Amino acid sequence: MSDILELPWTEARGQVSPREYVDACFRAIDERDGALHAFLHVDRDAAEGALPMAIKDNIVTTGTPTTCASHILRDFVSPFDATAVTRLRANGAAIVGKANLDEFAMGSSTEHSAFGVTRNPWDLERVAGGSSGGSAAAVAARMVPVALGSETGGSVRQPAAFCGVVGLKPTYGRVSRWGLVAFASGLDQIGVVTKTTRDCAEVLGIIAGHDPLDSTSSTHPVDDYAADLDKGVKGMRFGVVREALEHLEGEVRANFDAAVDVLRRGGAIVEEVSVPSIGYAIAIYYIVANAEASANLSRFDGIRYGHRSERARTLDEVYFDSRGEGFGPEVKRRIMLGTFALSSGYYDAYYGRAQAVRAKMRHDFARAFERCDFLITPTTPEAPFRIGEKSEDPLSMYLSDIFTAPANLVGIPALAVPSGFDLRGLPLSLQIMGRHFEERAIFRAAAFYEAETQYWKAQPRIVAAKGAAQT
Amino acid sequence: MKIHREEARRVAGLAHLELDDAGLDRMADEMTKILSYIDQLRDADVDDVTEPEVVATPLREDEPRPSLDRDSVARNAPAWRDGLFVVPKVIGGE
Repeated sequence: MSDILELPWTEARGQVSPREYVDACFRAIDERDGALHAFLHVDRDAAEGALPMAIKDNIVTTGTPTTCASHILRDFVSPFDATAVTRLRANGAAIVGKANLDEFAMGSSTEHSAFGVTRNPWDLERVAGGSSGGSAAAVAARMVPVALGSETGGSVRQPAAFCGVVGLKPTYGRVSRWGLVAFASGLDQIGVVTKTTRDCAEVLGIIAGHDPLDSTSSTHPVDDYAADLDKGVKGMRFGVVREALEHLEGEVRANFDAAVDVLRRGGAIVEEVSVPSIGYAIAIYYIVANAEASANLSRFDGIRYGHRSERARTLDEVYFDSRGEGFGPEVKRRIMLGTFALSSGYYDAYYGRAQAVRAKMRHDFARAFERCDFLITPTTPEAPFRIGEKSEDPLSMYLSDIFTAPANLVGIPALAVPSGFDLRGLPLSLQIMGRHFEERAIFRAAAFYEAETQYWKAQPRIVAAKGAAQT
Repeated sequence: MKIHREEARRVAGLAHLELDDAGLDRMADEMTKILSYIDQLRDADVDDVTEPEVVATPLREDEPRPSLDRDSVARNAPAWRDGLFVVPKVIGGE
């Protein structure tokens, strides 16, 4: 048998026993993760399961630590499972490990992990993206067939794009966030990383739905997300976001144009549409997300769980020193920005203004969706960058999310699907955004594109070179 | 918007973050750069926007349900005694 991990999960699960499937993952991890560092913990005692998977380490799981890639939580073990994890376990999931991330999901490269960077399986000198870089690299390197990530501004789609795999951000409220360590509660959503759209659709079907433990989870009916995968795109209307194209360099633009041609050949109607406010996404995002983060992260105070400074002698010192020692520089920077934006005298100018422009963006998207079923852009403005290339310049790192952040601000679902490679062999990606709760239609469109192009079958060198994890 | 060291110190105090002077200066510089990018929001035209439909978070019934057992909470606590979190003396300090 060829390597079971080369197959999509929905094909492989019928071909091996749960024990063999999980063991194949452990062998692949042993062979490759030393070079990649996609995992923060590997659970050798994981129960066998027909759905072996990695969980981003900001989603709580019993039996393994949940660190958020932060020193402040380095010893934390959750007493309960996240709802998404509970639902996955009930459907045969075996949690083989916890995936690396930027500390508290704040970043676009995993360089902000307190426990070391995750390397890109296609080029070990480059980043895997972030913040769900470990989840994306683990799936891309065929160490697990499925991983959960989380999104606040593109943290599933951007690393999925950089690693050449499928990444979904569901509609805001589609998946319960009970057990997802909160970053920005008005934006956060658990997402899915897989090799194919069918795998992604089936996993979403497991984790979607209302949860009494998360009052922001939607009661909107759960769809049969894989029902339309073979139906093609004939007559469907795709809007190319004009303002997004203005930012593009040559190869990314050519790759995107080629993707448009594939859709057109399938009978889709593709036309340019304008979303005038889309260029403000990053500016809005870094006010709104950081303001909410500054409040959410106040719970890490050294009192109930997490790191407590050994030098603290007074209660104030417990707060200041535990947080000063426990948080890394990017987390501090964001807490500072968020606190500033909410502070007296600046609230209207920054937080109020950002929310007003966000409302304008919602309005612009609603108008665009009157004309189109989908909006499409490249997932990222560039191929994966080199480790260290942007780490000294926070703003240039932030701009990596320029095409992904709008979906979080508007609350709509969006999916990244591999769209081929640049001349250096680095992955590129197409983003498909849809209307609220129309994940099923997005999967249909993505499945058509995927079937026509088959880019998911390409394997990074780290897999193809050795291939010792045969079953 | 230029952020100076003293403004960074005020914000760090609000956020309960210990930062030394060098850290405050670095933070002030980075915040200045990021805020100058964010200042473009002033230019956005938001006049034609009507208030979006508000979807309120539904309330649940306020019914008792089991809470976490104390042992599992104690295992993550930095300091714990007799079923309680231990903190430094708050009143009439050292």
